[in-house]
Amino acid sequence: MIEALIKFLCAIVWFLLLSLYLTWAERKESAVMQDRVGANRANFFGFRILGLFQPLADAIKMMTKEDFTPAFSKRFLHNLAPFLSFFFVAVTISTIPFGSHLMIGGKEFRLQVIDLNVGILFVLALLALSIYGVILSGWVSNNRWTLLGGLRGSAQLISYEVALGLSLIGIIMVFPSLKFSEIVGFQSELLFGWLPKWGVFLQPLGLIIFLMAAMAESERVPFDLPEGESEIVGFFTEYGGLKYGLYMFTDFMKVLIIACLLTTLFFGGYHVPWLYADGFHFPWGGDWLLPHGIVVLFQVIMFNLKVFFFCWLQILIRWTYPRFRYDQLMDFGWKFLIPLSLFNIAATAVLMSL
Amino acid sequence: MVEIFINDSAIKVKEGTTVLKAAEKAGIHIPHICFHDAFPPEGSCRMCLVEIEGHPCLELACSTQVREGMKVYTETENVRDARKGVLEFILAEHPMDCPICDKAGECTLQDYYEQYGLFESDFLEEKERKDKKVDIGKGLILDRERCVLCTRCVRFLRDITKTGELGVFERGVRSEIGIFGDQYIDNNYAGNLVELCPVGAITDKDFRFKTRNWFLKKGASVCPLCSRGCQIFIEYHPGFARFKVPKRVYRISSRVTSRDQSQKEKGYWICDIGRYGYSYMDKDRAENIILKQKNRPAERGEAEAFLGEKIKKLIYRNKLQRMGVVLNTWLTNEELFLARKIFTLDLELEKVFFTELDTGEKDDLLLTADRTPNKKGAEEIGFEINQIEKQKLFDETELLIVFWSSPFGLGSITELLPELSKVRTKILFTPFKRKWNDAFDLVIPTLVSAEKGGSFTNIDGKVQHFDAVLSPPGEARAEWEWLVSLGKEIEVDFNSYLGMKFPYDVYKKMKDKIEFFR
Amino acid sequence: MFRLFGYFFEIIRGSVITARHFIVNLFFHTLNLFGIKTKRKGAFTIQYPEQKSEIAERHRSLHRLMKRENGKPRCVACMLCQTVCPSECIYIEAAEDPDPEIQKYPSTFLIDISRCCFCGFCVEACPEDAIRMDTGEVELAQYNKDDLMLDLDFLLS
Repeated sequence: MIEALIKFLCAIVWFLLLSLYLTWAERKESAVMQDRVGANRANFFGFRILGLFQPLADAIKMMTKEDFTPAFSKRFLHNLAPFLSFFFVAVTISTIPFGSHLMIGGKEFRLQVIDLNVGILFVLALLALSIYGVILSGWVSNNRWTLLGGLRGSAQLISYEVALGLSLIGIIMVFPSLKFSEIVGFQSELLFGWLPKWGVFLQPLGLIIFLMAAMAESERVPFDLPEGESEIVGFFTEYGGLKYGLYMFTDFMKVLIIACLLTTLFFGGYHVPWLYADGFHFPWGGDWLLPHGIVVLFQVIMFNLKVFFFCWLQILIRWTYPRFRYDQLMDFGWKFLIPLSLFNIAATAVLMSL
Repeated sequence: MVEIFINDSAIKVKEGTTVLKAAEKAGIHIPHICFHDAFPPEGSCRMCLVEIEGHPCLELACSTQVREGMKVYTETENVRDARKGVLEFILAEHPMDCPICDKAGECTLQDYYEQYGLFESDFLEEKERKDKKVDIGKGLILDRERCVLCTRCVRFLRDITKTGELGVFERGVRSEIGIFGDQYIDNNYAGNLVELCPVGAITDKDFRFKTRNWFLKKGASVCPLCSRGCQIFIEYHPGFARFKVPKRVYRISSRVTSRDQSQKEKGYWICDIGRYGYSYMDKDRAENIILKQKNRPAERGEAEAFLGEKIKKLIYRNKLQRMGVVLNTWLTNEELFLARKIFTLDLELEKVFFTELDTGEKDDLLLTADRTPNKKGAEEIGFEINQIEKQKLFDETELLIVFWSSPFGLGSITELLPELSKVRTKILFTPFKRKWNDAFDLVIPTLVSAEKGGSFTNIDGKVQHFDAVLSPPGEARAEWEWLVSLGKEIEVDFNSYLGMKFPYDVYKKMKDKIEFFR
Repeated sequence: MFRLFGYFFEIIRGSVITARHFIVNLFFHTLNLFGIKTKRKGAFTIQYPEQKSEIAERHRSLHRLMKRENGKPRCVACMLCQTVCPSECIYIEAAEDPDPEIQKYPSTFLIDISRCCFCGFCVEACPEDAIRMDTGEVELAQYNKDDLMLDLDFLLS
């Protein structure tokens, strides 16, 4: 019990802190991409440190703003909506494995909060539940346009939910398990004796579909029809202060959780290529034996590096492409991604049966 | 009649007409500086040169008389060259200080340079310096550098006012306009010199540097300051709201109407009393309806109800003769007609009086002794211009309505003040804030003639219509509007007052009723 | 199908371009961070309050009124600037100068800088070269709207 609590605390602190600094990363990355400097003004006693205090300043600003509820809206539901979104996304981190085992004094600790036997389904279910935050906020704001924004959001999320689920069936077929730990375990094997047996090599098409559908789930720029803050009125228009901040924060948490899922399902999770429990065994012959602690450290660092890379990739995509039109968005989801994912399942089945 | 051809188009004019006048009739403008319609041609500026077929050299259009079959060309190469040359000579000694010249914008020389000149001057010499600020009396300032020696001012003072204060001194290049010693200009028409001067040589202290004339808006009106009723332009600025500068009348200028020849000659001029006496339009104006018992500015409806109720009470008590009315001859024909309809015909009052006429000295040209605009009109409408009989007016009077519109102060009417307390209800219609306003129970702000439409009948019996030029101050409305609503309020002859929405509606009624106005 | 491939190719090319920008700029940023001077900078940003962009010679900034040799304003209150001003932000009142060579000078000269659109027409219209817009002053914000009404003394100094 206490073990689980400590693990959960570690995981959630890692998760929230990283999401917080993802805002900084996004600003800085977009700035560097566009030949700018980015936020660098927030300082602490004159120390700027590349604007690293900016997220803290933002948080303080959000907290000190007015807690506003529009007239004729249900205050309780209005407050509840952002927390729903936030909660369902925050909980998903508990299924992600950060490393294999850590042996302390002969006792074995899994570096995963909880290893559910339906891990993938659990994550998908929670992500689907976060739709309620969107649609509830759109409805409870007592504003026609936020309601339309909420409807747009729910339609989009539900559409891409299908493609997201179908794209993962290929993975479940090649790694016959729903447990994250087992899926990661399968990926530690080698293909042809030298290539890590990562999901990306077995399911390249599945990766592409998953990436697209997951980006759509996170409601960020190429797919940001629910908010579209620059042109169309989104579902959280009537939110301000900390509640608005929660929505923004949830966005970044989704980015992070998608990066975690990509890492875990397609890129071998915490696996370093050719690193086994006792050290490296290179396919061209030659070993480099390492103590247990170092191996675990390597795994955790590798996991983090992969996650950072996919966060970077998502931010890159978000700052490169323009937004879809709504009919294009729906066409893309229903007429392209879903048939493609069905084809992926069929092709995987045929190839596996050969 | 003689037929001549100007720029190959034929026109018939009377014998003895000058080419310039004939061209004007044909709609062709020949530039001229020294020529003025009111004077015989002088021929000193040489701007009006035209080409006449068969003549060896260019001729002066202002002084050449027409001849049968004459062919005149006003826009040939020769003529244009000559104009350019003349302008260059005039401008050779002109100081070009348009930025500080009040005439800039309505200056003949500026206009002609713009139209016919636009040359680079060939003169490299220093310009001659002369006196720039010479006081010539009556607030007029002479700038000798700007003067082009057209002698219009000299001719005006010689021919029109016959006082001859100005003259041309010295000869040739040294000639200059001036007064004789310390005999400053002192006549009632001196203000016309400013308008008459084609350049900015004579300017007016009253207008000097106050604003620029292109900011001003012009509105045609009739001068109410004597019974001549000269046609005038009121030139005003609506104010710069952002800089908290209010609406203001800057000057009055003459307006030439050509109804008949005798009027036309006089119509170029207005007297200084009319020209400089415009300050009453902006100063001390009553803006709010003041109902004494309410002690606050009242609404228009409240005032009408108060007035109607007081009169109706007298009607019900059958004591109408306890009501007195004081009118004045500053009111327009329409207002006097309405007043007569209400007070004399509808209510059959006996105590209808007129305030004393403002009087002054008469002169030979325009100014009349009667300094109110509409005495003749009041007489034609049917009033007797009777002085106030104090005994009769205040005897047993319960309701007194006074119309007071004179901008000249109260005059002898202040004698009424101590008597006013005898009357229970006193009502005043006035455009001005005066000391005695406090003595009245209801003070209704009205308009001066520049702000309302209507007509005055001048001393010669000519009915002159005019429209509102300025916007009314505050709550103030014209007297005729108040009288129409009063006529409706007392409900004696309600239907007669329907459809009176503009002064001309009243005038149409007047035309039907009174022979004189037909 | 061909179009689809073209589409995907362009999409990937787009992200390669942005990624290239990122990596190249990050490289120079990192060099600059460790104090290595490079010809090329990572960003084009001008760090405004500390670092000001150069104002061109002909840039139209805050107005000023010129003075004569004796310190009086060169302006003769001809009101041409007031006339030509498209946003009607100039107001002048003239007064009479005892010197007959000057005659007219502005007793009030107000510029409502909150309405001014910096078109420079007043400078072009001025016959005396009395008003100029070459102070280089572009930070004109004030806390109070009344402070944006510039008067004669301010414009002369």
